[in-house]
Amino acid sequence: MLIDETVRFLSQVPPFQFLEERLLRKLVQSLTLAFHPKGEVILHQDGPVSDHLQIIKRGGVKISLRPEGSGDEVVVDYREQGETFGLVSLMGGHQRTTIVAVQDTTCYLLPKERFNELVVSHPAITEYLLQFHLTKYADMTSREVQGKSLFLESSDHLLFTAQVGEICQRFTTVVEADTTIRQTARRMAEERQSAALVVGPSGEPIGILTDSDFRTRVVAAGQPIDGPVSRVMSHPVVSVDEEVPCFEVVLKMLQFDIEHVAVTREGAIRGVVTNHDFLVLQGRSPLAFSEDIEHQTSLEGLAPVSRKAMSIIGVLLREGTRATNIIRIISELNDRVVRKVLELAEREFGPPPVPYCWLALGSEGRKEQTFRTDQDNALVYADVSELQKPRVADYFRRFTVYLRNGLVQCGFEACPANYMASNPDWCQPISEWKRYFSTWISEPTPEAVLKSLIFFDFRPLHGDESLALDLREHFERLIPDYPAFLGFLANMLVRNRPPLGFFGGVAVERSGEHKDGLNLKIKAVAPLVDIARLFTLEKGIRQASTMDRLEALRGGTSLVSELVDDLEYAFEFVTLLRVHHQHRQLEAGQPIDNVIRLDTLSNLERQSLKKAFRLILKVQDQVMDRYKSFII
Amino acid sequence: MGLMAWSWAKLGWGPSGADLPIQDLHFTVLDTELTGLDARRDDIISIGAVRMQGSRIELGSAFQELVKPRAILDGRTVVIHGITPTELEARPSIGEVLTAFRDYTVGTVLVGHCLSIDLAFLNRDARRLKAESFRNPAVDTLSLYGWLRQRSLAHPAFALELPAPSLFDLAEAFEIEVEAAHSALGDAYVTAQLFQRFLPLLRQAGVESLRGLRRVGNPRRQLANLTAQEGHTHF
Repeated sequence: MLIDETVRFLSQVPPFQFLEERLLRKLVQSLTLAFHPKGEVILHQDGPVSDHLQIIKRGGVKISLRPEGSGDEVVVDYREQGETFGLVSLMGGHQRTTIVAVQDTTCYLLPKERFNELVVSHPAITEYLLQFHLTKYADMTSREVQGKSLFLESSDHLLFTAQVGEICQRFTTVVEADTTIRQTARRMAEERQSAALVVGPSGEPIGILTDSDFRTRVVAAGQPIDGPVSRVMSHPVVSVDEEVPCFEVVLKMLQFDIEHVAVTREGAIRGVVTNHDFLVLQGRSPLAFSEDIEHQTSLEGLAPVSRKAMSIIGVLLREGTRATNIIRIISELNDRVVRKVLELAEREFGPPPVPYCWLALGSEGRKEQTFRTDQDNALVYADVSELQKPRVADYFRRFTVYLRNGLVQCGFEACPANYMASNPDWCQPISEWKRYFSTWISEPTPEAVLKSLIFFDFRPLHGDESLALDLREHFERLIPDYPAFLGFLANMLVRNRPPLGFFGGVAVERSGEHKDGLNLKIKAVAPLVDIARLFTLEKGIRQASTMDRLEALRGGTSLVSELVDDLEYAFEFVTLLRVHHQHRQLEAGQPIDNVIRLDTLSNLERQSLKKAFRLILKVQDQVMDRYKSFII
Repeated sequence: MGLMAWSWAKLGWGPSGADLPIQDLHFTVLDTELTGLDARRDDIISIGAVRMQGSRIELGSAFQELVKPRAILDGRTVVIHGITPTELEARPSIGEVLTAFRDYTVGTVLVGHCLSIDLAFLNRDARRLKAESFRNPAVDTLSLYGWLRQRSLAHPAFALELPAPSLFDLAEAFEIEVEAAHSALGDAYVTAQLFQRFLPLLRQAGVESLRGLRRVGNPRRQLANLTAQEGHTHF
């Protein structure tokens, strides 16, 4: 019974929870239970080393150290229920910190000899304990999350676990670029294929021709069927390696609006995969929704489809889809809705008088939307003469108001801060937009920087992308000349310190702030987004999403290039937590927010969140060092 | 030299052993389940215990044995809630269990809540079986509680308005989780955790050796300790 109780406890505590019960049971036999009254100094800095790994059963400890030659105690960490201490001293032979019980604390003690055996028999345990990398956490956490959905009978699971090579049609019609259209059609008929891949001289895929292409591009367009297939094929063809997970291919299909993707093995054609293959694989797919959206011809039809699309998130979550992919899928679907409303608006008001580009801002710009999505958008149009100006401005005024109302109908709430194209300030010709950016960069004030951040995450969503590119090039040229701007960003970043004390909530008496919960968006997501933005702006990197930005920083010269893995996992994890939290609220019919309570998190989740906070603190310290002169 | 005398000597007990620091002692924290409290007719039906080294409870050390009540042998009916006579019949006899338990307690200090009752039954049965009785040093957690309460320590548990708090009153006051109440091993584990919480308080109060521990935790002194407290409150 002592054993059962302890096994039960440890089976919820990482890394012990990853041991088989039989081993855990054996391990528990060698444990002792110790009690440390509040205030007890359990280990002294530079004192005797620990001969046990201590696992906190109840209570909490404070870990601190006094740097040499300084009298000030520095608190390194708080540890609480389910966490361990004494490891470094156990392994390293030196006690570098002082550990004090901040509450009456009971601990399970794992003796050094048993620990050493465990190190040998289960390297993963040590790795876990020693990791100061988030990698392991995230992997195991996602396993935990996936474990929750094991009961699911759905075959949708395959979409997220299967590699595209496993479901693609092994055989496909392959033709050279100079093959005639007629020959191609004959081959496809003979080989019973719905598409033919067109390859270049060295066998690389250069284009694709599908059944429906024959209808639209050949027959309907009256193409001579003796012409080369290269004249009517779609190109370039999107190809993926056979090892890519299926759902990534789905993403690509959504992104490029295509139905066929070539699958390659080491660069050579292996086959073709179609959206039909995926639809067969699963009943409710992002693609199905996407097509549903595409088929709508009126706002009245679009609105219910758009609202329904969010139901897909539940499926994705249950499948254990990576959270960062969930938000990308959400964003792709939202993009579709926005483009559809733009199309409807163009039909309503006639073609725009001058080229324009619709910009998604903020989280929409970064493709990081979760459930609650309010509109963050802007519109840039080509410069016009003074004479034309009133007419053009009037067109876009009506156009953008239609957009705002249409999107509200589709379930996107209006932006409370009025960052919308329907606000005349944010519907301007390119020259005016350039002036905005010049002002934000050359005359930064804390308020202006905060206000303009959302615009630095813009992404062209529809229309003439060259306008967006022009604007981007404009501000990228300015940034190096005004170091104070990045300094302001850095300053803002380091001021939002993650509340490590949140975890002390149980262990340490703290007043007020986090008693009711923690705002994940502000305290965990925002700092990571800010970190990625700061360093991409610094390096002139153009990626829009936080994950892509981090990836682009990998191996580079920036401060965080070595921390990319950790930052990606941290972002993955906090996003997952946020999406889960909001999904639960949605299911329960509660209003959606970003506030999580500590007591709703599992041990593993708490620890992962804590690691993310520590990582943010670490980067903030480095940023503070680098941008010293700008930190207020 | 008998086994027990040998281990006493090895542990440095005897005349000088009394000075051993508490941290170096081994404890057997025990609890027995009885058919009733009448030493003339009632029996031990189970013994549960855990060992402690100093202040640490050894989780792998549990002793847990069910005992066939002697009444069964005498042909008397024993009604124990939830246990059928057949089940009782299948248990080992007190003689076998006592032998095993004596081996288990060799070289340790016995600790229990209201320990004198447990000891009375254990030694009664030992005498009947003409076996060696339990002469280990003994410490009672209720005596310790009474003594600590006289020192009016700051801990809120000492403000309990109970003349003789039960193990579970104390467990609650000291925030000890009770998983399996009223099994001998479960209660022994709770007692061990209670004793574990007393040890730092005793150290604060200057009790640091076996001698001191035996003096303030004497099983026969629980009443004296508790009544002294009553008197104290009248000043």
